[in-house]
Amino acid sequence: MNTQNQNGYMLLFRGNDWIKGLSPEEKQKVTDQWMAWFKRLTDEGKAVAGNPLEREGKIVSGKNRVVSDGPFAESKEAIGGYFLLDVASMDDAVAIAQECPGLPYGVRVEVRPVAAECPVASELKREAEFASV
Amino acid sequence: MLLYRSDEFYNRLSHQELQTLMNENNAWIERLTAQGKVKPGRALERRGAIVTGKNGRVVTDGPFAESKEAIGGFLLVDVETLDEAIAIAQSIPGLAYGGSIEVRPIAEECPLDVRARELAAKEQLATV
Repeated sequence: MNTQNQNGYMLLFRGNDWIKGLSPEEKQKVTDQWMAWFKRLTDEGKAVAGNPLEREGKIVSGKNRVVSDGPFAESKEAIGGYFLLDVASMDDAVAIAQECPGLPYGVRVEVRPVAAECPVASELKREAEFASV
Repeated sequence: MLLYRSDEFYNRLSHQELQTLMNENNAWIERLTAQGKVKPGRALERRGAIVTGKNGRVVTDGPFAESKEAIGGFLLVDVETLDEAIAIAQSIPGLAYGGSIEVRPIAEECPLDVRARELAAKEQLATV
């Protein structure tokens, strides 16, 4: 998958419960590695933004816009943070994801191309093109 | 941070509905931008990869576009409280068509740091 994308890529770090089994030394080591990794990527101009997210949060859903608690702190799928990358290809983004210091501890990294525009706008354009044929 | 989770619901909408939603979306984001409450957000493409395994050797396709839980985009909102962020999430026009918004505070520092500090403090207490 070597698609070019000038809009960049997003790395989503999934997994919330993996830090629990680590000793303080291991935690410190992973934190230092993670910070050094982000700093290097920033210095190289490859990371343009990134943040850890708090473990708590809310979910808003449905026509009635109901608010519920979430995400679930135990979840292997819960998102713990993200990086926005300014790299041109999926291969570059995956190569960076493969350097994630959390991987040995069970973190999963989701790599997603940033879209040029909202998919609703793309869908409207596709329909307009189809209609004009 | 607002994380927008939904399937490709827009494929099920009529042209009229799409146009209405697009107009509502544009008005919504313009209003929030004028109020200085949003930093740029982006849509994500419905494809990508998942990297897992000790050395990141396992690369699989994903996420699955049909999944209601798949993240379709994100928006960073510049507000002081979780309640304000929730209120903004509730005003998202696309919610009328399904999907959900995950509202998450950006952490001051990495939770790993916090946890490591807590444990170190506890050990120090134990040795006193």
